[in-house]
Amino acid sequence: MVGPALVLFVVMLVVPVGLSIYLSLTDWDGYSANPAFIGLKNYVSLTHSAEAIRAGWVTLLIAAVGTVLLSVLGLGFALLVNGASRLNAFFRIVLFYPHVLSALVVGFLWSAVLGTSGVVNGWLTSKGSAVLPFLSDPKWALASLIAVLVWAGFGVNVVLYLAGLQTVPKDLLEAARIDGASKQQTFFNVTLPALAPVVTVNLVLSLVTLLKTYDLVVSLTGGGPAGSTQTAAYLILWDSFHNNALGFGSAQSVVLMVITAGLALTVARLRARADQGVQA
Amino acid sequence: MSALRMPRVATMQLKPLKTKGWGRIAFMVVISVLMLVPMYLLVVSAFKSQQDILTHPFSLSPDQLTTEYLRKAATNPDFNILKGYAVTILFVVSVNVLSVALAGPVSYVIARRSERRYRMLLLLFVAGTFIPSQVLVIPVVYTLKFLGLMGTIPGFVLFETTLTLPFSIFLYAGYIMTIPASLDEAAAVDGAGKHRVFWSIVFPLMKPAVVTMVILNTFSVWNDFVNPQIILGPGSGLYTVTTGVYAAVSQYSTDYTVVFPTLLLAVAPLLVVFVLLQKHVISGLTAGATKG
Repeated sequence: MVGPALVLFVVMLVVPVGLSIYLSLTDWDGYSANPAFIGLKNYVSLTHSAEAIRAGWVTLLIAAVGTVLLSVLGLGFALLVNGASRLNAFFRIVLFYPHVLSALVVGFLWSAVLGTSGVVNGWLTSKGSAVLPFLSDPKWALASLIAVLVWAGFGVNVVLYLAGLQTVPKDLLEAARIDGASKQQTFFNVTLPALAPVVTVNLVLSLVTLLKTYDLVVSLTGGGPAGSTQTAAYLILWDSFHNNALGFGSAQSVVLMVITAGLALTVARLRARADQGVQA
Repeated sequence: MSALRMPRVATMQLKPLKTKGWGRIAFMVVISVLMLVPMYLLVVSAFKSQQDILTHPFSLSPDQLTTEYLRKAATNPDFNILKGYAVTILFVVSVNVLSVALAGPVSYVIARRSERRYRMLLLLFVAGTFIPSQVLVIPVVYTLKFLGLMGTIPGFVLFETTLTLPFSIFLYAGYIMTIPASLDEAAAVDGAGKHRVFWSIVFPLMKPAVVTMVILNTFSVWNDFVNPQIILGPGSGLYTVTTGVYAAVSQYSTDYTVVFPTLLLAVAPLLVVFVLLQKHVISGLTAGATKG
């Protein structure tokens, strides 16, 4: 009963990960018959590659800023739409729906809205105003990318926090109300501590998801202008298949996998601790 | 006395609540409009000319609207959307069936056996969730080439199924542990084999977990871009909805009479599913979000 799943898993996941690690130690270009073993050279050149370092920083910036925004907006809106009314149910759907769309489609849609000749700029031009460089200026483009990621993703955080809010002990809220605590006091002293495990899960999950940002870069900015929005995943696929630098691309993959795995393990550990906290 | 007090209490409590409630609702209405504007633009622009999209993006006057561009997008020679739907649905169904067929039995064994090696097996599978698929697909190309499956439907379906295994097994094993083992022991005593016990006794009881996974896999396969783009490639002539959208839209990204109708056709089926099944979809996708 174990066999078929295990075989598939080994062939399609374990072996390829091993292959990635092996290739990262070679200078393979993707087609030559005998790749040379070059040790850790790819990892050394990684620390000298201006492009890879920029992609690393861009990815970390997206992950850090995005995570803060997703968590703050997620909790804020969860508190706003927490009631059981039909109207709140409608608001929850509206906040969540972009998550259903593929990131590729979301990117094309927003690039048609924000592009230099897009809907917003077309409308501004017809009103006689100057065009705004949403996607054509490096800083604006990165900000636009993060904004679209947040627009498309924070609905999930809202739903996760909503699930968390249902676990806040009702008797504690009631006790705080009877003791005459203000809304802020109740939130900071009762609700937020009870939500601690959910906050942790939200933070780290957002971080792990954002570290993988790829599809949206392809369709929203194409990595541009001038490479300013290239993420790690984008550069890895570019180096591997367009630059034929499979070895170098694999070294970047291994680094990304290690960082992602490190964070995922942190999730697991924090979750385990949080679960103990809930049971205690 | 209660008749006297009732209205007074009611007005005292209602007054502050009411003004506060309206402020919240007004704010949420504004936010909802902001959330929906891109979708509104997508829908109305699919029925307009380039000129009208750019000069009157929000207007909805009937004399501007035409189904001409939508019909053109539906019959685009670069990307046959109906074929795209068919190919994607085939992938969604195959991955779901194969995923349940493979993950179900292994989860059952893991859930019912307490030996250390089964614990390690679960850990091995769950470790798979740590690997970003965009990065994994690169070496998988060479594994598939070795197997002669690169650029083929079985190759793509097998890889996509593998990506569903870690979380499916994690979820199923956890769920099966909540099903009393006495049920399947009774069936085993009656002489039913392991497979028989699993599929006829345990599997029907796993329905909520399977529904969650099917929703999750359906959305992730439908929306996946990088894996079909790389494994099936432009050379195979096989386009899913997302790779077809990429082929049709990326060359004409400023011809909005191509972009908007194509995007609308791409998202329409999924949005309909979402609206019809929103409760299940939200809980399913949220369970999925926690897979990290």
